[in-house]
Parts: sequence; structure tokens; C-alpha cells
Amino acid sequence: MIAVAGLALLPLVIMSQPDYLSLLTTANIYAAVAIPLAWQTAGIGRMNFGPQFFVGIGGFTAALLSIHLGWGPWSTLWVVILLSLGLALILSPLTIIARGLYFSLITLVLPLIFLEFTYVYTNIFQGETGLSGIAPLVQFDKILTNYVVSCHLSLVMMLAILYAVDKILRSRIGLYAAAINDDEDVAKTCGLNINRWKIICFTITSAMIAVAGWFAAHYYGTFAGVTYLPLPFLVKILLINIIGGRGEVYGSIVGAYFVAFLEQALTILGPVHYIAFPFILLVLLFTLREGLYGIYRKHKYREYYPTMRVRKR
Amino acid sequence: MLLKLEKVSKNFGGLTAVNDVSLAIEKGEIVGLIGPNGAGKTTLMNLISGYYKPNSGVIEFDGVDITGSEPDRVCRLGISRTFQIPRPFPDLTALANVGVGVLGGKHRPHMSFGDALLNASHYLEFVGLFRKRNTLARDLTLYELRVLELARALATTPKLIMIDEVMAGLNPGEARRAIHLVHRMIDEYQITLFWIEHVMKVIMEAAQRVIVLHYGQKIASGPPREVVNDPKIIEAYLGEKIA
Repeated sequence: MIAVAGLALLPLVIMSQPDYLSLLTTANIYAAVAIPLAWQTAGIGRMNFGPQFFVGIGGFTAALLSIHLGWGPWSTLWVVILLSLGLALILSPLTIIARGLYFSLITLVLPLIFLEFTYVYTNIFQGETGLSGIAPLVQFDKILTNYVVSCHLSLVMMLAILYAVDKILRSRIGLYAAAINDDEDVAKTCGLNINRWKIICFTITSAMIAVAGWFAAHYYGTFAGVTYLPLPFLVKILLINIIGGRGEVYGSIVGAYFVAFLEQALTILGPVHYIAFPFILLVLLFTLREGLYGIYRKHKYREYYPTMRVRKR
Repeated sequence: MLLKLEKVSKNFGGLTAVNDVSLAIEKGEIVGLIGPNGAGKTTLMNLISGYYKPNSGVIEFDGVDITGSEPDRVCRLGISRTFQIPRPFPDLTALANVGVGVLGGKHRPHMSFGDALLNASHYLEFVGLFRKRNTLARDLTLYELRVLELARALATTPKLIMIDEVMAGLNPGEARRAIHLVHRMIDEYQITLFWIEHVMKVIMEAAQRVIVLHYGQKIASGPPREVVNDPKIIEAYLGEKIA
């Protein structure tokens, strides 16, 4: 609660600094992608190397509907959710057919194919420049108010995803996810229909990631495949997950803020930051094997595993 | 008839691991499965539990054809198993390990997550692991892992439990406790047991009937005393007389 209050108050404290407000919003968007990905990693027992594919699906759907049909953000949201649910359901058999490296390779290629698609069909996706003129999330007279409200909305979106994922992970579905992540074969022997749970997990988490894309499109007012679909965005998300702690939902938030702020802080180095940023992250990968959250969990792991609770009648 | 296998065979390339095996287990029976190393005992267990699909033959459980069924369906129908080398969910606590069994086994739509964990704690208490309920499975000893597997298998509320060498790697004291636990399990839960064991003394005492596999074929079946005195069995275990 204290952390949530702190995150909610932060935009008000720095409301005169649009750059920092934008940075907080970016961190929240990163976290909104990384949180469902943390659940997905455990729930399907595989590493998805293409979460940005659904960021692209969400962003382009929102952008195209907004530009061509004049829909506002709250109308496009439902289409984004339904479309991504449907598409994820179609792709979900991959979680059963493709194991280990094959799954990672297939998911790695998906967003890159999508990127090529945006270049080939430039008339629809506007290739390198991307789509612009997307209806904004909020529109106030004061630009600064827009920044503060958008920042809070990004926080609400991230917290809504966090709340949903946290609730799910504390239920039986969380236990199934942990069992599938540990040993799929034994989970089957214990009677779990792991194919069903993997499909459910992949479909829901992909839709959540698409919502982050929807937010990015309406927040920035532009959406280009080249920003989200190539590998640098993927690397950032994966590093957020690993630095936060693999499969750690709360760790993803810590990781997202850490990566977003580090990226911003290093821009003072000029062009060197393109090398310094991945270098620092690589060093952290080797030194923080269990992630930032893992340091805390090492001493207090018990509270994150189900303990017996007897209901009072 | 609870379990019935008819002419079940399994090949791995050119190797026939299980060859035309037919057997039947009645409800409430304790049946031992013995045979030298590589006789196909674990493969047979894998065929019954759905891990492997047989090349030919039929497997029936409680009147239902389960030939080639997925392991989760086999488990929900009432067959549970343990592994020769314990395979817990290492990053889950002992309680959560057994909880997976409770929620995965018999269909219990009205059981909440909390109720399932409470139920799991009952099985942990039964095997004597309740005080380790919040310990991660990877931190448990071999004996604790073996009894954890028994608790997890029981938690699925099976009609038949297949135990694959519960005593392997245990010291004499632990082995005694494990055997005692299996006997208590039979008494309290009235389950049917299909038990692979290398230690003949244990099988002789516990099993009502023994099935012997050799090179993937069933070479004998009957009361333990008769089977161990059968010259064919002695030959399978010790080899032919030189002179």
C-alpha cells in the first residue's frame, strides 16, 4: 500500500517536470508488459521471446481504429482485448507443440515478421514513420495536466494488471502455473490438464500485453512498428523480468522502474549510452542472478508460497 | 477386475521393452512386480500411467479402456504413481506439492484453494511431514521426498497406487519406516497396490501375489512363496547352473 501510494504521489511531486512524468509513464508501460510476461513464463513453462508482438497488435489495432473510424481510446480498448484474445487463442497451441528453444525461436520470429509486414503494407501501417493522429487518452487545456493524468492512468493500468495477475497467482491457477513451470510431466501425472492451463495462461497474458500496446498508442498519439517490434524493446522487457527476478510479479515493477530510469540517466553520456546501457545490464545479470527482488526473497521466501489458511466459520 | 492388461507390448526402436504382457489386478489386492534390472518393470508402469503409449495391446482400468490415454486422464480415473527417482516440484513447498495432487486428482468442483491446502496438510500429517509443510521440496532429504511422493499420490484419491521402488537409496531405518508407512496406507485407505520392489523380503511379506518380468515378458505370477521357489525365477535372477 505504501509503495502504491508512493507511486501515485510521485507524479504530483514532479508535476513541473514533463520529462520525468513521461519517464514514469514509460516505466509503467514497461511494467504492464513485464508483469503478465512473468506469469506467462511460469504458466506455460517456456520463455516467450516475442511479447512485443502483442504490444504491436494492441497498438496498431488501436491506432487503425482511431485514425480510420475515429474511435476514442475507451472504444478501441474492447476491440484490442477481443482481437488479442482471439489471436492468442489461435497461437496458443504453440505452447503445447513447441518445447524449449523451438518455442523461444518461433516467438522471437513472430514480431519480426510483423515488422516486415508493416514495411510491406506501408499504405496501412506507414512503415518506418508509423501511424499518427491517434486519439489521445485525455485532453485537457493544460499540457501539464495531460501529462499528470496520463501518468496516473498508466499507473492505474499497471496496477489493474498487477492486481489481476497477483489474484490469479494466489489462487489454484498460480499453483498450477508453478507446477507446470517445475515439471510438466509430473504435473500431468498429478492429474493436471496442462494443455488447458497453458492455453488459458498464454491467451490471457497476451491480451494483457496487448493492453499495454493500446495504452502506448493512445498516450503517444503515434505508433510505429519500428519502436516496439524490433529486438531492443524485447531485450528491455526480458531484462526487466530477469533483473526484477524471473517469474516475480512484483519484481517486474522494480525491474521496469530500474531499467527505465537507468536508460534515461545514461543519456547524459551521449552516444556512449547505446553501449553503456546494455553493458551495465549485462553486468547486473551476472551479479544479480536471482534479480533485485530475489535478494529480498532469499531471506523471506516463505511468504510467497501458499501457506495453510483455515477459514473461520 | 480393477486393472487388466491384454497382450501389451512396447518397442523402443529395435528393443522390445515389454513383450505381450497380460495381467489382471483385483480390487484391494497388493501385487508385487519383480524382475532383474532392465526387465521392463518401470516401462510397464509408464505404459499403465500413460507416460508411454503401447505399440499393441489393451489396457483397461475399472472397465474403461485407457490404452494410450494421457497421464492426467489416467490419474483422474484413479491411478496414481510414485517415481523410482523422486520427482517433486522442487520450487514448491511440501504443502503445495501435495496441494497439486489434491486439486489435480479427483474432480472436486466445490473445493476451494484453501480447502485443498487444508486437505493436503492432512496427507502431510499422515506421512509425517507436517512440520516440513513450508519447506521447499528441493530442501528435503531423500526419505522425505519419497514419503512426499506417497502423500502426493494419495492426495489424488486413487483407486490404485503404483509404487516404484520406495526403498531405493534409503538406509535400513528409513526403509523400515517407509515400509511401515506403505502398510498403514493400505490399512487406512483400502487402496489397491501395484508395487515394484527390488528387496525381495519386503515383497514376500507384503504382497499377496507376485508377477515376474524378464526381458519384457511375464514369466511367472502367483503367491510369493511359490514364485521364489520356481526354478525359472531362480534362473532369471541368478543365471543357469554351471555344473
